[in-house]
Amino acid sequence: MLPPPPAGRDLRLDFFRGLSLWFIFLDHVPSNIVSWFTIRNYGFSDASEVFVFISGYTAAFVYGRVMKERGFIIGAARILKRAWQIYVAFVFLLVFYFAEIAYVSSHFSNPLYTEEFGIFDFFQKPDVVLIEALMLRFLPANVDVLPLYIALMMFFPPVLWLMLRQPDLTLLLSIVFYFLAKAFDWNLVLYPYDHSWFFNPFAWQLLFVIGSWCALGGARRISPILYSRPVIALCMIYLVLAAPLQLSWLFPSLTGRMPGWLMILPLDKTGLSPWRLFHFLALAAVVIYYVPFDAKFLRSNWARPLILCGEHSLEIFCLGVFLSFSAHFVLTEISSLIAMQIAVSLAGIAVMVTVAALMTWYKDIERRGGKPPPSATQEGFEGVTAS
Amino acid sequence: MRMLSAALTLVLLAAGSARAADSCDVPNNLVETFARLPRVGFSVKRDHKLEIVVLSAAPKLSGEASNLKSYPYYLESELRERLKGTDVHVFGQSEPRKTIIEVIKDLPRLLAERQPVLVVWQTGTVEAMRGIDPDGYGRALDSGVAALQNGGADVVLINQQFSPRTDFMFDGGPYTENMRWVSQTRDIPLFNRYEVMKYWGETGAFDLTALKNDGTYEKVHRCIGRLIADLVMRAASLSGTVER
Repeated sequence: MLPPPPAGRDLRLDFFRGLSLWFIFLDHVPSNIVSWFTIRNYGFSDASEVFVFISGYTAAFVYGRVMKERGFIIGAARILKRAWQIYVAFVFLLVFYFAEIAYVSSHFSNPLYTEEFGIFDFFQKPDVVLIEALMLRFLPANVDVLPLYIALMMFFPPVLWLMLRQPDLTLLLSIVFYFLAKAFDWNLVLYPYDHSWFFNPFAWQLLFVIGSWCALGGARRISPILYSRPVIALCMIYLVLAAPLQLSWLFPSLTGRMPGWLMILPLDKTGLSPWRLFHFLALAAVVIYYVPFDAKFLRSNWARPLILCGEHSLEIFCLGVFLSFSAHFVLTEISSLIAMQIAVSLAGIAVMVTVAALMTWYKDIERRGGKPPPSATQEGFEGVTAS
Repeated sequence: MRMLSAALTLVLLAAGSARAADSCDVPNNLVETFARLPRVGFSVKRDHKLEIVVLSAAPKLSGEASNLKSYPYYLESELRERLKGTDVHVFGQSEPRKTIIEVIKDLPRLLAERQPVLVVWQTGTVEAMRGIDPDGYGRALDSGVAALQNGGADVVLINQQFSPRTDFMFDGGPYTENMRWVSQTRDIPLFNRYEVMKYWGETGAFDLTALKNDGTYEKVHRCIGRLIADLVMRAASLSGTVER
């Protein structure tokens, strides 16, 4: 029996964050047929946007309250503590990643893949690679949303400080910064120095800030516009037009040649293309319109697994990356048949839900048993929920 | 959606079993192209010759593997068999571990030395492994294709191969998407080697996960050579034998 949801919380955040975590896991298992169910196939934006937006929203919601009640220093300290936790999680995943690569590189000599062996070149110099990785300058694929998250949290204290005083100005600055980054090609450089972060933090900060802005009253202030029929209709039209475009891109032979003016794809994910950003915002507006705060299904049993995962997003994200490595291992070593792809996908989701349920259960036990000083425990809990 | 994907799976499986006679075969939608290769058709029909360069960033095979035949070899023999009376040459130009920026610098020399009518350009693997910005990659590839076309060559693009064991280490998806963009805007064929090999892996036509060479290398390359030959024939509107 899954534990019931806590009262008074906006379950939509947990629900959709849980959903994005499932999607991220499914998308990270290479050549997985189940990933056809994820949103990236039916529109411009994908689960990354959902994850970053909700992270910005919850960060502002939780740490904004701390900063308001207990001052800038305490608020900033909590945010940086959170950034540190994410960093530790990143290093943890890195170890798994290196272990799998090391295993493959020492057993693998099929000449069919001579070109792909180039990936092992990095490990000719383990000292350099490990140090660069610890400095967030060597980022393996699939883990790269965590470094983005760390970077965003590191700079969040001053942003939040300003956001609590001048929310609209903060948003405006963020938008300006986004366009400056685009105009001047700002990004963080990665080892071996000829490429940069896959999630450009200078661009993706905008989505995080939009999330924070919404959490601190922005959403309420624009709600008359947001809930107006013409706006929702516009959003719907955009979503409906984006879907076949994205799908036709995935099945080029089914649609034939596309007219030149439709050649906006592929969209820049690194720099968070405006097409992607607007697609996500339209999606969010439509979802909020049709799923009210107190929607019944959010408290139903079948929504529980998703909400549980969303409540422990950092842990479940890391678990998902780890599970995607494991799923890949099973698919190459045992069988890659479609049945197996479905089996490892379902098994992975089952593990994610079970671990999330155990964590909630343990948290409740801790909360009920003994009475530790409220300040300390409360912080810990908030830290967990604020991912 | 579930219905659709189930139906899709069935269609793929049916297509797979119906054509099990030849392990090279893949469903048509994986190798279809709307683009044309006019210079190839012209060169074969008028000059009875076909000069092809296969450009890739793959390193040369070494040791025991150095005797293995790769798809440029099979492409040449396939085309010679089909185009009797045409002088077919396939030259493999490998630029090991070079990224697109470095490869592009070499294109004028390649065009001058070889004067190819067709350049089969396999690219994207090195860039995916190094994590080069996919958008910048697309722009560089576009300028490279333009240089080849201006130099009098048709172009066929080939994306990275399907490598199940290294699949989680880097993601070629964004690079293939940019290749598709270039192939559509420049109206040139894209041979989706990744999807083709993935299909072979999933239907069990070849075991693509073998740790050592078990003979799969030449089987896979023979099939790739044959499929590219099919694609060239179709896109250049050539029939099996050309009348003299």
